[in-house]
Formats: sequence, C-alpha cells, structure tokens
Amino acid sequence: MDAPARPILVALGSEVRALRLIQAASRLARERNAPWLAVHVEAASGAIPDDLEQVQVWLQEAQRLGAGVRTVPAPTLAQGLADLTRATHAQALVLGRSRDRWPWARLGHSTADELQRRGLDADLVVLDDPPEVAGAERPGTPFGATLGTLLVLAACTGLAWLVPREGNLSLVLPVYLLGVAFIAHRWGQGLGVLASTLSALLYDFLLETPRFRHAEELWPNLLFFLAMLLSAQLVMGLLRRLRLQARDVQRREFHTASLYLLGRALARSRTPEEVAAAAGEHIGRIFKAKAWLLFPLEDTWHALPTPLEDPSLPPPSELAPSLDLGGRQGDPLEPLPLGGAFYLSLTGTDRSEGVLRILPREAKGLPPRTWELLQAFAAQIALALERLRWLEEARRAQVERETERMRSTLLGAIGHDLRTPLAAIHGAAGTLLLPGDLDDSARRDLLAMIQDESERLAHLLGNILDLTRLESGVLRVQKEWQPLEEVVGAALGHLERREGPVSVRVDLPSDLPLVPLDAALMEQVLINLLTNARRHAPGQATELRAWGEPGGLALEVADRGPGVPEAFRERMFDPFVRLPGAGEGGVGLGLAICRAIIQAHGGTITAEARPGGGTAFRLRLPLPGEPPALPEDAP
Amino acid sequence: MTSGAGGPRILVVEDEPALRRFLVPTLAGQGYQVLTAATAAEGLALARSHNPDLVLLDLGLPDQDGMEVLRQLRLWSARPIVILSARNQERDKVRALDGGADDYLAKPFGAAELLARLRVALRRTIQTEAGETVVAGGGLRVDLARREVSLEGRPVHLTTLEYRLLEALVRRNGRVATHAQLLADVWGPGGAGNTHYLRIYMAMLRRKLEADPTRPRTFITEPNVGYRLDLDASEG
Repeated sequence: MDAPARPILVALGSEVRALRLIQAASRLARERNAPWLAVHVEAASGAIPDDLEQVQVWLQEAQRLGAGVRTVPAPTLAQGLADLTRATHAQALVLGRSRDRWPWARLGHSTADELQRRGLDADLVVLDDPPEVAGAERPGTPFGATLGTLLVLAACTGLAWLVPREGNLSLVLPVYLLGVAFIAHRWGQGLGVLASTLSALLYDFLLETPRFRHAEELWPNLLFFLAMLLSAQLVMGLLRRLRLQARDVQRREFHTASLYLLGRALARSRTPEEVAAAAGEHIGRIFKAKAWLLFPLEDTWHALPTPLEDPSLPPPSELAPSLDLGGRQGDPLEPLPLGGAFYLSLTGTDRSEGVLRILPREAKGLPPRTWELLQAFAAQIALALERLRWLEEARRAQVERETERMRSTLLGAIGHDLRTPLAAIHGAAGTLLLPGDLDDSARRDLLAMIQDESERLAHLLGNILDLTRLESGVLRVQKEWQPLEEVVGAALGHLERREGPVSVRVDLPSDLPLVPLDAALMEQVLINLLTNARRHAPGQATELRAWGEPGGLALEVADRGPGVPEAFRERMFDPFVRLPGAGEGGVGLGLAICRAIIQAHGGTITAEARPGGGTAFRLRLPLPGEPPALPEDAP
Repeated sequence: MTSGAGGPRILVVEDEPALRRFLVPTLAGQGYQVLTAATAAEGLALARSHNPDLVLLDLGLPDQDGMEVLRQLRLWSARPIVILSARNQERDKVRALDGGADDYLAKPFGAAELLARLRVALRRTIQTEAGETVVAGGGLRVDLARREVSLEGRPVHLTTLEYRLLEALVRRNGRVATHAQLLADVWGPGGAGNTHYLRIYMAMLRRKLEADPTRPRTFITEPNVGYRLDLDASEG
C-alpha cells in the first residue's frame, strides 16, 4: 500500500486535441491521486512529422498543470507508448484517436487498437475526436486524382458490364452515380464534372456494344448524362457544406485552444512588457508573424516588447482615427494594412489601450481565415492591458490615500510640536534683546532654554526626516558584520554627550557573534529606546541585555516604568501614536523609526510587559550565514 | 571679510548667512582671524590669496560640489580642512575624509564642539612639527619610539596588529580616521573592504585599554565612518 502510486501517461502530438487530452489526464490524475507524465513519441515512421514547436507548447502546458514531461524516440508511436507504459508501470494511458473518413478504415488500424492488441497492464483511455461529418479535402496530386477518377470509372464500367440481365439500365445507373459521387467527394468538383461527362460517354459506348444494342436511343442517353451531372453537383454541394462545417468545428477547436493558451499567458503577466512578450510569442506561433504592442507616447509610439524603427508608421494622431471602428470603410473586423504590416486597435471596455502591429514573416501576408482569431487575440490583449491599468490606478489611489493620511497626521503633529519650541526660542530671544538690565542668572536661563529647545527641534526634524527616508526607501541600509558591543558603546557615548551620565546596566556576553548591522541606524534605535526608557522611568536604571538565539541574536532594553497598556503594545510602533498621559517630549516618532530600521534589517521588535512591572523592548536580528573569518595575528 | 587679529587664520566657506553669522563672532571671539566666503569660487580664491591655517568647508555649496573644492585645495595645500555636513550623510563624510579632509562637524553643532574640533585640527600641524613621540591621556600612555603601551602605569601587552591599530589612531591625534584609512594603515592594501577585521581588533583594544568596553571613553566610534582616539575627554 505504501508503494508510490503508478503514474498516468498521456500521449501528446501536435494536434489541437492535445489540450483535451491534457485536461482529461490531469483530471484522472487528480481523481486517482497519482502522478502523471506527458509523453511525446518521436516516431521514426510517422506519416506526417509533428510540428515540434507546437508539441513543446503542449508539453509546457502539461508541465504547468503538474505533469512530468518525457520525449522518447521509437520506431512507431504504438511501440514507444507500449515500452514507456511498461517501463513506468503506468496504471493508465490517455491517448486520442482521430476519426477516419470511412468506418472500415478505422477498424483495427489506430494506435489505440494496436496498443489494445499488445495487452498492456494499463487502462487505455481513448478520446475520440468530435464526430466530423466529412473529412478534410485531400489535396492529392492532379495526376493521381485523374488516375483515380479513371480507375473508379473503369471499375464502374466493369460492374455495369457484369450486370446479369441484359439491357437493364436501372442497375447500371446507380453504379455510375455511386462512382461519380465518390469521385466528387474524394477529388473535388472539377473531376466530378469530368467523371459525369465521361460516364455519360462510357454509357454511350456501352449502348453501342451488342449487349445493350436493343436499348432505346438518344434521349434516354441525354437524360442519363443530365442525371449524372446533377447528382455530381448535388453530392458536391452537400459535401462542400459538410466539409465547411467540419473545418469550422476544427477551426473553432483550434481557436479555443489558442485563445485559452494566450489567456493563460496574459493572466500571468504583471507588466505591459510581459503582456507584449506573451502576445508576441503566441501571435508569432499561430500567425507566423512578428507582433508589437504600440502605445502612443506624445508624438511617437512606444513599442513593446522590442523597439520599433519603422519610418512608414504614421504618428498616433493620424493612425488612431483610421483604426477607430466607426471611422473606417469596409469590415470593421479587418486589420488595417499599412506598409506590409497590419494594425488593430486594442480596444478594452471603454477606451483604446494601444495598437497591435503584426508583421507577417512570409510575403503572402496573414494566413487566410485568421482575422477573426486575430481580433479575438486583440480583444484578450486589450483586456489584459486594461486590467493592468486598473490595478496600477488602484495602487496609485491607495498610495495617494496613504500619503494623504500621513501628510495630515504629519501636519497636525508639526503644527503643534514644532511650534512649541519655536515659540519658546522666539520669546526668549525677544526678551534677551529688550533694552534694560536682565540679571545674569535670568539671562543664562533664557539662553539655556534657547539651546534646549533648538536641540529638541533639531531632534524632531531629524526624526521626521529619518522616518520619511526610511519609509520611502531613500535611506539604504549599509550592513556590515560587527560586534554588538561597539554599537551599544556608540549609543551610550552619544547619549552621555547629549544628556550627561546615563544609568544603564549593560549585560553583553563576551562570546556574542558578530551581526550584520548598519551601525548608524542601529545606534539610532538604541538611543531612541534608551531615551524612551529614561523618559518613562526617570531615575531608574535601564537594563540592556543581549543573547544568542538559534539563527539570530536578541537584544532587550527593559525599564521599570509604569508599563504599557496591552492595547498600545502594537499600536505604539505606528507614527505619531503617543501613550495617553505620556507628558512632554517626543511626538511619537521614535518607536516608528525603530521599527522601520529593524524591519529594514529583516528583524522584529516587540514590547512586552515585564514581570515585576515595566516594559521590555525586544529586538530580534537574523544572522544570515557565517560571520566572516579573522586574519592571522602575531602575539 | 576679515575680522579678528593675531590668532590662526580660519577660512569659512559656507553659503548659509545664518551659519556665517554664528561662526564669525564665535571664532573671532576666540582670537581667530576669520575670512568668509559664500561660494566655492570665492573660497578657492581666498584660500590662494590668504593661505589660511585652517579651512571650514561646507559640502553643500551653490556653485560647486564641496568635494571638488576639497580636491582642488588638497592639490596644493596640506593645511587642515574641517568639513561641515548635514547629519545622516555618513557616505559624504567618509568620502570627504578619504579625500583628504581632516575632520567633520555634523550640523547642528554647538560652539563648544566646534572649538574643540578646531583645536584638535590645528594641533595636528603643531605637533607634527614638534616630532613628539610620547602621547598620554586618560591613564593611557603610548611611546611610539619604544613601542610601549601602559595603562594607569601598568604595561599592557598588545599583539602586533593591535599595536599597529593603536599607533594609526595615535598618529591622527584626535582626528577621526575612516575605516578605509585604518585598514590601509594596519593591513595594507590587502585589508580593503574587511571592515570587520577592524571592528574585532577595536573590540580587543577596548577590552585591554578601556575601563568599560561598552562605554568607551578613549576609543570613540563614529558609526559608519570610523574611529577617533580621544585622550582629552577621558582625562575629565
């Protein structure tokens, strides 16, 4: 029971039916919970060589749906499939069977039947082509067709000759009718007409022979000839209609398959470049043509996927109106031919998304009867472009809303927090400039206040700048392997120079590994956290500890302050969020900057309540790979 | 354009009138002779005509990149140049220091910081001329001639590389040394890019020569720029 499930094989050629086979096999594999394998057999004795490019497309599609892919050479298709089925212990083999024109030609001759005869230990799942009412016209060589026509007529004459009862025209007539119908069906109208004329002449000849001598003369002959001609025409007309229908069915299947593949590729495209690449690839394969997407860019065209140098291409202002469906003579579905290339408007739901330019690789232009498909392609491409445009618009709107929100918060904060120190500085300076004596200690007080407040302003501006740069991605993190000790030392030194002695208990194990850090940014994080701790727990020692963790390093800055309410522990890392009752100082940017910096380092920052009161900010930094080695040193 | 008399001559190349307004009286008040220029062209012309003892150069000038002014000054002058730069622009600071600047001051800076840096920068020339080989401060004593190091009177054993790093810092005499400069001094051309060597040896030096390596007083880190040896501050 534990043995892996036996795989399901699906045999793919280049025919359009491969898509149905792939889907059937994928469904079967899902139902049976088995792996599946798409197989292409390169048969040495294949009647018609497969279109390898097309085979690759089908194999890729199968692979995308989760199949393994295998191409095997073999003397015959059946042989190759049988060998592979045995080799892989496949539980089932999915393959297609084309309907031959004549039921008897089908019996026992298909690969499926041959495989059945070989007695494989696998289920054979045979998918027949949809019933065709008539086969495709075989464009045989004119010589072969004429020879065939003559042979058929000779056979008919032979049969007529053998008619047992002498002079029985009623038996001769259907034989010739059958012959003419067959010829018309097989080799087309021209030979059908020829055959009916010939058979009338032959009939005449037969009448001349002694065997039919006493049959009536001229006028029944004429009647016979007419009947022959008419029936040939009738059969022809009938057959042509059926053949057209059959070709339609085939073409529709082909169109559906190619549209399906294009749609898939377009749905995966995330940029106009990718859309253009997908369109170019699929159009190139099906229409044997090169394709460009053109987008109007002021006076010129912006071409994708490759730049386009075509002096005969009119500027957008001229080309656009003639592509407009209403403004052109003739069938609006037809592409506009212009200097060897064809142009189609890529019209989405409400506006043109661009222009599709097709340059056939062969001089005779686009294959016939493909404009309809091309139009469908254009519609798909237009929808894909439209989808991208809408996504982009939605994204931009989102960014704008976000920016707007930030801006209004920022303005509000700046309005208050910048004005307060400014007002103090302005007021103090004004007082100092007043005529009259100010005693020395009052002067010093005012001057000290100017210094303090301007420092606060500088700090605030620096924070706003930092956050903006961090969030907009302008500021690049410059990571270098270094000991944490150095960053801690720099942060403490900075704080002490700014605010005098600070009371921080540092506990860094001496065997901490090196960490990749941006020293200036990490110093900023530590300064912000230590300043916070001092502000919320004044006069008490802050604790700074670090320890190694699997795959990283943890660092904790812990205070014995009043703690942070549960509801704020996440939100306080957002910009401009201040704890209720936090009092003076800070605008709620410090922690937001910390988070932005830590995230830029690929780490996390959290706040936790400490047992015994206070808050612990915990940073986790990842250690990607091994720290670099040290050089040799002499003692 | 000139004020103050007698002391060392300082050229201030700064386009912001507000900063000039602050710098000129502050420097003149300390006895320096002050020359001011608002553009790069004016600054270069004044430097040629007056040969100042020190140039205070702003990197963001209206007519020319401050880096270019620095390059042109360095073509003919070995006098100290101190850069004024905005904060958070470590890359610019490093470029300026590697391009021959002696030190930098990040805006906003206070008068005390400014004057301290100027003193250090001016001292360089004076001391180089004196050829002094023993440096001491904050309990640390380094004898460059005998290659001896002692802390609080006790000799300290340093490895070869540790000593070379210490020597490289001492020779800069309080001015900041960039990572690239220290790597080149200690490891030679092969050390380029291996900043982590430097950090590890700095940590070792601190463990041997600092009272508390997490609060360095002597071996000061300038994040993302380099290090400086501060022997004056540790005395206090």
